[in-house]
Amino acid sequence: MFIDFFYQLKDAGVPVSPTAFLTLHRALQMGLVNSLEDFYTASRSILIKSERYFDLFDQVFAHSFEGADLPQADAFQLDELARSLLESWLENPKVLAEALGLDESKVSRMTPEELIEYFKERLKEQTERHDGGSRWIGTGGTSPVGHSGYHPGGMRVGGMGRNRSAVKVAMDRRYRDYSLSGPLTQSMVGEALKRLRNLMPVGPKDRVNVDETIYQTMRNAGEIEIVFERSLKDRLKVILAIDNGGWSMDPYVEVVQTLFDYAKAQFKDIQTFFFHNTIYDVIWKDPSRYREPKRIEEFAAYDPETRLILVGDASMAPYELMATDGSIHIEERSTKPSIERLKFLADTFRHSVWLNPVPVGMWNYTPTIQRIARIFPMFELSIDGLEKAVRQLMAKGSG
Amino acid sequence: MTLEPTRFSGGKKYVLDEELARIVNISMALEMPLLLKGEPGTGKTMLAHAIAETLHMPLIVLNVKSSMKLVDALYQYDTLTRLNDSRFGDSKRDVSNIEEYIRMGKIGQAFTADVRTVLLIDEIDKADTDFQDDMLDVLDQMEFDIIEIDKTIRAKHRPVIIITSNAKKDLSDPFLGRCNFHHIAFPDPKMMREIVKVHFPGIDVELAENAIAAFYRLRELDAIEKKPATRELLNWIRALNMDPDFKPFKLVKGEMPYMGILFKKSQDYNRAINVVSRKRLF
Repeated sequence: MFIDFFYQLKDAGVPVSPTAFLTLHRALQMGLVNSLEDFYTASRSILIKSERYFDLFDQVFAHSFEGADLPQADAFQLDELARSLLESWLENPKVLAEALGLDESKVSRMTPEELIEYFKERLKEQTERHDGGSRWIGTGGTSPVGHSGYHPGGMRVGGMGRNRSAVKVAMDRRYRDYSLSGPLTQSMVGEALKRLRNLMPVGPKDRVNVDETIYQTMRNAGEIEIVFERSLKDRLKVILAIDNGGWSMDPYVEVVQTLFDYAKAQFKDIQTFFFHNTIYDVIWKDPSRYREPKRIEEFAAYDPETRLILVGDASMAPYELMATDGSIHIEERSTKPSIERLKFLADTFRHSVWLNPVPVGMWNYTPTIQRIARIFPMFELSIDGLEKAVRQLMAKGSG
Repeated sequence: MTLEPTRFSGGKKYVLDEELARIVNISMALEMPLLLKGEPGTGKTMLAHAIAETLHMPLIVLNVKSSMKLVDALYQYDTLTRLNDSRFGDSKRDVSNIEEYIRMGKIGQAFTADVRTVLLIDEIDKADTDFQDDMLDVLDQMEFDIIEIDKTIRAKHRPVIIITSNAKKDLSDPFLGRCNFHHIAFPDPKMMREIVKVHFPGIDVELAENAIAAFYRLRELDAIEKKPATRELLNWIRALNMDPDFKPFKLVKGEMPYMGILFKKSQDYNRAINVVSRKRLF
């Protein structure tokens, strides 16, 4: 029973164990499940062990029991694209109709849902040809597009007709916000800070705590037990270097700064610098990258135990990284290729990381990301990535 | 089939959503621990209290601490009292009988109780992974050994076990494998109205509405380390309610007294005050 469902979950990437599946059957046998709602709650609480997978579970559930489309990796981007297409359509139908080669009068009779579907289909055809998506049949009103606008929340909800509420619940995708993947946003700052709090020096446990030793020895009825505690260590120094050039980095600059601003008290010293795309002879203390340059050589005089955190998408033309005078800024003439400068920094500070807002799956498509990842340990600018980066920065030995 | 005579359907001061009620009932019937996650203030701990109250079972709370060892939760061998007794001998206890110096820990109490109990293991994520896995073993077997006197303690009644965790980080796989899981989402405004009504039965509707509306707007502020939760809202309403000079319409105008009740980290507080005073919120 429901074996297909089990494998669909597995295929979708939800970790489900056979033991849990058997437990679900025990619940079924005991007569605890009497409706589709019961089955939804029971299967979710028994099979799924983390809220991260609730969203995926909802989608698979809706697929299995209502025939909704399974998630595709690109579904979200398509949605966003289609939505922006719809918005520009609402603004000026004529231009878009011409751009896509459609008959305007025909398109204006479609419902918003049909239109979005239509856009999505077109977008998919442009990247690769595949079927699917067509089952999200629009059932919404028949008002023509330009007049009524649309309800953004309605975009996801398709093809419901038989009024099964568990499926409706599943289709709502209430748990979308709980997946921890994806780049950092302001609303994740609290969670990210918790990860950052681990950026604390840890000394060896080599100091005897006399009071505790006496107490524990008493407890042991006279058998001596010596209690050690960690010797104190000074707090860390941190250098934060942010790529604030170009629109691709804009959403992240502020998040990263808020994050480290909040954590400021935790560090002995934190200095922020800015660069564009990559580092040449100098980096700047001011965000406009104009007034306060600092020569890279000067970092040689810094405490090598300082933690260096670079934030950037590391995406640029290869020559910007490899060539002498690679900078795209004409006034910035360098004497060494950028890659040499990066290597110098990595040699100077043995604890260093590069945080990249580009999703990890895309790194292989950009040669400069691969190049830089060979110099600095690179992590995604996400909650999980931050956690790994902190671990890397606190690791013993060379970074 | 061992269904409870009374099914759980919510407590006096606890507003339960239907989905969670189903999950609690399934977990009780399957005799599996229920692991609850969710941000602070979603009522994870309160749920255990509510279950105990409705099913008339005693509640035993194990507050997990980071330094805790599993044996502390099971039993303690009180060597110090025994040493004292052997030296001064003024108690009625028999010094040669170690069993008299064994005291049950919280899990031990739940096992040895004469009636079925609700065992709440609060904030399991504080302890290390070994503690978690070992504890699940004990809860799975429903027995543990007292090494000092070579005695096995078996559970007389299988307790209803509720485990809570605040961490967004996942617990270990073997641990998760033995639990049912639910994540309590932060209550939506509709639910929050119910919760406020349960806690303040005769409250002025305007005050409640305005306070809840302001609360959700404040929660949406960006870059807040610790967002205000249900507990903060209830305390805030209590404070507003007690202030004779306070008028609910002031909230709509963006005058928010007692922000310190909602925001407890200085940076959060400053940011909230800043935003509110500039009326950017409205």
